[in-house]
Amino acid sequence: MELTDADLIARVLVEDDQHAFGELVRRHQSSVRGLLRQLTRTDVALADDLAQEAFVRAYKNIRSFRGEARFSTWLYRIAYNCFREDARRRKELVGINEDQWQAEMDPQTVDLGLRHDLMHALSLLPLHERSAIILCCQNGLSHDEAARVLQIPLGTVKTNVLRGREKLKKILAAWAPD
Amino acid sequence: MDEANQQDLLDRQLRDAVPYIDDAGFTAQVMKQLPRRRKHRQAVRATILLVTAILASGLSFVLSGNARFITIDIERVANLPVQWVFAIAVASGLLLTGLGLIAAVFKTRELQSN
Repeated sequence: MELTDADLIARVLVEDDQHAFGELVRRHQSSVRGLLRQLTRTDVALADDLAQEAFVRAYKNIRSFRGEARFSTWLYRIAYNCFREDARRRKELVGINEDQWQAEMDPQTVDLGLRHDLMHALSLLPLHERSAIILCCQNGLSHDEAARVLQIPLGTVKTNVLRGREKLKKILAAWAPD
Repeated sequence: MDEANQQDLLDRQLRDAVPYIDDAGFTAQVMKQLPRRRKHRQAVRATILLVTAILASGLSFVLSGNARFITIDIERVANLPVQWVFAIAVASGLLLTGLGLIAAVFKTRELQSN
């Protein structure tokens, strides 16, 4: 019988069972790495580094997981915090500007070969809308869970999802074949 | 296509657009970075405590004049009436049993709550 996440977490807590934690990593690595790849705009190496950092942090702080939310939601929150901290550091170091990047990636200037690429369309959204769409639409989190991960009010998540969806529809409509 | 269907289609497309990411050694990399197990740290702590206790005992032995107080107290106990020695032995046994039981009850509760 396959152990549940709760069983594995209990083993980590009681016996400090690192194999149990390894099983949790194996189960959730794809979704956490996928989330970070989306957030970092498919910078695979950076996303994987952040994912590793997130899992190590999760292990160190597993006692603070009280089981009120799903384990995956808790992991997403840690991963999102890792991403935000890294983005802040990079901004300070090299002055990356989200607005500037946005202007450079204007749909009108994008390579026509990428017209049907949904993931690319997603990468054109501003970070707050992209994060909300990735969590709610791609990873199936409820608005409430996404609000916990992103640490923003529930209403803001709903607005961001709505606006993100509208923008995606517009971008994809423009990419539709003639 | 109505609004709701369009939304569902978009959500489905978004979900389908995310492929499963093969582990490819990722979990092994994470496991390498985990801090050492607490059991190892506990063993180090126990060793430090044991060494400290042995050193402290040795120091006490030397400072107390080769522990002469022990032989003096043993002589005193030996000079007590037999009934007194028996009563002290029974009381000590009862005290230790009681403390052991209390510790066992607490440990059982702790394990059950986990």
